[in-house]
Amino acid sequence: MRNLLSIARKEIKIALRERLVVSLGIIILLLLGVALYGGYLSYRQQSRIITEKQEEKRKEWLGQGDKHPHIAAHYGTFVFKPKTILSVFDFGLDTYTGTSIYLEAHYQHEFMFRPAQDHSSMIRFGELSAALVLYVLLPLLIIFLAFSSYTKEKETGTLRLLLSQGASYSSITWGKVLAYSILLIVILAPYIAGMFILSSRGLSSAVVPDVAVRTVLLVLIYALYIFIFLSLSVWVSLKSATGRNALLTLLACWILLVILTPKAVANLSESFYTLPSMRAFKEGIQKDIRDGIDGETPGPVRRARLEKEYLTRYGVDSLHQLPFNFEGVSMQAGEEYGNMVYDIHWEKLRAIFHRQNSMGSIASIFNPYLAIQHLSMALSATDLYTAIDFEDKVEAYRRELVRKMNNDMAQNSRYGEFYEYKATRELWDEIEDFSYVTPSAFEILRYYKLEMISIVGWTTFVVLLLHYSNRKSKPIHG
Amino acid sequence: MLEATNLTKNYGDFTALNGLDLSIKSGDIFCLLGANGAGKSTTINLFLNFIEPDAGQATINAMDVTKHPKETRQLLSYIPENLMLYSNLTGLENLDFFCGLGKKHYDKEQLEELLKQSGLQPDFIHRRVSSYSKGMRQKVGIALARARGARVLLLDEPTSGLDPKASNEFSELLLDMKEKGVATLMATHDLFRAKDTGTHIGIMKQGILIEDFKSEDVSFHDLEKLYLKHMH
Repeated sequence: MRNLLSIARKEIKIALRERLVVSLGIIILLLLGVALYGGYLSYRQQSRIITEKQEEKRKEWLGQGDKHPHIAAHYGTFVFKPKTILSVFDFGLDTYTGTSIYLEAHYQHEFMFRPAQDHSSMIRFGELSAALVLYVLLPLLIIFLAFSSYTKEKETGTLRLLLSQGASYSSITWGKVLAYSILLIVILAPYIAGMFILSSRGLSSAVVPDVAVRTVLLVLIYALYIFIFLSLSVWVSLKSATGRNALLTLLACWILLVILTPKAVANLSESFYTLPSMRAFKEGIQKDIRDGIDGETPGPVRRARLEKEYLTRYGVDSLHQLPFNFEGVSMQAGEEYGNMVYDIHWEKLRAIFHRQNSMGSIASIFNPYLAIQHLSMALSATDLYTAIDFEDKVEAYRRELVRKMNNDMAQNSRYGEFYEYKATRELWDEIEDFSYVTPSAFEILRYYKLEMISIVGWTTFVVLLLHYSNRKSKPIHG
Repeated sequence: MLEATNLTKNYGDFTALNGLDLSIKSGDIFCLLGANGAGKSTTINLFLNFIEPDAGQATINAMDVTKHPKETRQLLSYIPENLMLYSNLTGLENLDFFCGLGKKHYDKEQLEELLKQSGLQPDFIHRRVSSYSKGMRQKVGIALARARGARVLLLDEPTSGLDPKASNEFSELLLDMKEKGVATLMATHDLFRAKDTGTHIGIMKQGILIEDFKSEDVSFHDLEKLYLKHMH
């Protein structure tokens, strides 16, 4: 243990005297600072806009004046996806999922104002987020820090001297890993502190109730990710004859893990599980609503059946004799049928999303980069499942809004007098303002079991790999 | 102190060392002469336990180096042909670090004194090793051996490439270590240094120790003739 600490101290001293390492460390720190500050400015600006617009739309809803509830249902309202404080760290899918959605009767509108729409094609390479710096660029720093950790000792002969003085491979290897870990902690400390300060500001946030837990988990999984890359880099150096070989091997691994595999997995999952176009998706829904899911019960037939059912149930001959406005019931029934059709199509679409995501999750077992990317987005509440959760809650809100409008129409107006009835502010007040709370981190992490297994598995693997290699290594083969 | 019994090492079909029997006592300096590939460095690597023997045994202080690698390494100090230290550290920092590995701890003044006693110019003690000559690095190696209280010195052509003055200084340091009872095994091509410094001289050829005698029993001229005879 004492040798391990001596070696770690020596490595730190040497690394701090290496210009390349110090320069790269400063660059990474600056990039993280810029990314964090940029993310925070964007968060503050978007949060302000979203709050303002949400209040403005709420006022418009409440101040829309007296009108027929169904017209109000079509007048609709906007809801906005709140920015979470952790999106400062990892933008995730926020750039692509849009910020607001228009709610009205009969239609499930798609998200509007996707930030990616305002960017050039360069957005495909990702925005400069702190997460991007950590999971893409930091491994490069680690590679430059550790590629020559052993090869330089071998090439200069200091390894033989080290071993002859009583140091074991185990103490040398773990001493190096410890030294580089300390250096990275020092480089990242200001950033981690900044992240905790920002997160603590968001503790009162109603959107993500468990920011502290998420922040701690983020630090933990990134620590493991960095450890994996660090250990692999030291291992490659241990196994390589020259620094050049080690560097080329590690850069090839970086390109494979960080550039090629993620793109290949995304392309393959799209090829295997192709999503329908938005137009085809919407046309499918319209067709099923128009003709019925079985293709044989078009809208008029369904309405006629509903009329018959109600006349029979209430023992009357005419819709006028019903104690409520049948139009309200019919509209709600039409709404519910539309919802059912939408759910069927939406479930099919989601099944494709799930399959595509599953491919990514399976691939993450072999690639810790994919695992960290998914987990980082999940913990930052900017992942697919949080987006889906938001959409589900928005849709539930829309359905409740429409249901209340239709019920009010059924209960308070008479059959045949469609436009004569006007609901008042009292009804609009009954619709509570939309507010969103993300699922807890642990609920979301249920979707990322493979990714968690991957990170833990890779950590165990590199520890065992180094342990085994330390035992088997000899300074001279023969 | 140092003993090899039927020590053998093969690399495939090539026998690098063939049944070496050798005994070096405290205060002895055993100089191994021989052409490149004669088995000198292999012998040293076997005592260092950097390679494993195919047969026989290498012991230090009666401990088999393969069975007691930690204990035997605590007793020895190794200086290769070109002692490479950490170039970004100063001589003193290097010495401090390597002493720490041997669980020896000295304060700054003691380390400075050790380096001075080993002949390193005082103004180089706090300079980075990247500015050192080979002779200076070898002196740090000697300082390290002293600091560690090494009972055994394994030297692999330590004076190769040194100028005569530096080579002579190095020999004096070895003789000083000899007086302190250190057992030294030195592989070298330098006949003059072997005769001048060594207490025993061995000549190796194709992995076999073909000559083994006390250096006082032979003149430099006879040693040269004997050496050249075996080289042909």
